Amino acid sequence: MIEIPELAAGGLAAGTLSAFALGGGLLRARRARARQQAEIEALRARLDATGQELDRAAAAFTAEIEHLVTKRMPAEATRSAHTHVQVPGPLGPAGTGTDRVLEGLRNAIAHERKRVDAAARAGMRGTTREIQAGLYRLQDVLHGLQQRYDDPELAQTLFALDHENEQSLRRAQVAAVVCGAWVGLAREESHLVDAVTGGQARLVGYHRIQVHHHLEPGTALVSHAVEPVAIIVAELLDNALRHSSPDTAVVVNLERAHHGVTVTVDDAGVGMAPDERARAQRMVAGSEPILLSELGDPPRMGLAAIGQLTRQFDLTVDLSTPSPYGGVRAVLLVKNHLLSYIDPVLHPASASAAPTTRQQEEHEPQPDQVHLVPGGADGTRRRPASPEPAPGTRSPFEPAPTPAPAPARPAPADPVPEPVGEDGLPRRRRRAPAAAPADPRRPASPSRTPEESAAALGALQSATNAARRAAASEGSDPR
Amino acid sequence: MTGRRSGRPLVPAYLSTGGVARPSRNSLERLSVLTGAGGPPPAGLPSAQAALLGLLDGGSLTVMESAALLRLPVSAVRVLAAALIDQGLVSARPPVPPAALPDRDLLKRVADGLRALKL
Repeated sequence: MIEIPELAAGGLAAGTLSAFALGGGLLRARRARARQQAEIEALRARLDATGQELDRAAAAFTAEIEHLVTKRMPAEATRSAHTHVQVPGPLGPAGTGTDRVLEGLRNAIAHERKRVDAAARAGMRGTTREIQAGLYRLQDVLHGLQQRYDDPELAQTLFALDHENEQSLRRAQVAAVVCGAWVGLAREESHLVDAVTGGQARLVGYHRIQVHHHLEPGTALVSHAVEPVAIIVAELLDNALRHSSPDTAVVVNLERAHHGVTVTVDDAGVGMAPDERARAQRMVAGSEPILLSELGDPPRMGLAAIGQLTRQFDLTVDLSTPSPYGGVRAVLLVKNHLLSYIDPVLHPASASAAPTTRQQEEHEPQPDQVHLVPGGADGTRRRPASPEPAPGTRSPFEPAPTPAPAPARPAPADPVPEPVGEDGLPRRRRRAPAAAPADPRRPASPSRTPEESAAALGALQSATNAARRAAASEGSDPR
Repeated sequence: MTGRRSGRPLVPAYLSTGGVARPSRNSLERLSVLTGAGGPPPAGLPSAQAALLGLLDGGSLTVMESAALLRLPVSAVRVLAAALIDQGLVSARPPVPPAALPDRDLLKRVADGLRALKL
């Protein structure tokens, strides 16, 4: 049997035990809660920090976008036209991703510029081509008038008009060439010195240009190279005249080189700074595509046109060396495959072209020399009609007649082969002077005996008389 | 000169005289006969004057013929010839007056008669 006090003691003990247990649990729970509280505090602090960081980043990014839109993109757009403009970098590390945007913008602008430029060039090409054709028609009219009227006052006006027309033609042609058009005129094979002189004639200050011709007589250009060479020479000379004082001369030298023929233009002007020279050299090399909008306002087309032509026609222009006269030296190299040969006796260069400084006798075209000229299969090489040129057909550009060849020349009355033109007609030659010193070794007229002369004159006389009688018997003038 | 040079001239005529079309003397006509005085041409003569002098070297040509051979207009050749005459390098003779020339029709008949004789 269990006693009550035992029971009470047991119950008390159990109660104390449970109270201890409960107290311990409570204490643990409170400690855990405090720990969680601290954790929450820490997390909240981190959240706040992250939130602030995010705000800062967003603000920085917004500022970066703002900077991109207001500063960097306009700068990039300007830079596409003016390469010296610096595009500012991003404000901070937040802007590194925006570089791609600028790259895309750059490509889009370049593409659009090319498209706009091509459209502008096409428009200008069409216009200049028509202007050019009109000016050529005007030139034809002017040349016709020059041939027909020789009144000095009228001729003076016609010369002035012709010169103005040549200048307009040059400008229109250069603009057309820069815009990618063909030179606009097919010429026949011509003397190189004629192409150079033709280029000279297109300029205002052509009086200041001195051409020194040191090539073999008959050095010519194949037909498709004539007009490009004339344009290039005209533009080089124009630059030279423009950048030198009006009282200085511009010197042109035509010389033979191993790979062809060089046309050297020297001016005594202000010259070019090294960076200008480098830019000009890049332009005339024609290696970079030309944008009209890069030529300035008013557009400086000369060098750009040279660049187009050198690329199209395999010509070389060099501006890299300064001139010994202090100005600019421009050297145009015409390679051998663009050169040809024209008989200078049958087809002399124009009267205004500088005579060659070489002695013609040494270089009289021999038939076998003519064969050596490359590309002669098209029948364009002209050989002299007679191997020994008649005395009357010497080129007008032959320098002072040297005393040495005089005995070799036959007397004027000699029956020499009549020079025959390509159309088979005999060519008119100058008459021998009345007071020509007769060669005492030869009779005056060895081909005809006195009897033959008498017969010929008698026939002439009787024919004249017969015609007079017939005219008299008819009574009236049939006119 | 013959055939070939029918294209557009590369060198305009005004270049030959430096743009001058008024000759220093007005005595030259289209059919005036120019005669080279002979002797070596002086150095430094303009190209076109030298060309004309070379053409007249040891002979005579009318202004018109010189113009055709040089492929220049008559007005330019008159300027060149006048300059050469001034320098004493060329002498000019006036053309035969038209009144002294035989009748054109008569000459034609003579030519016809000569042709008839040949047959």
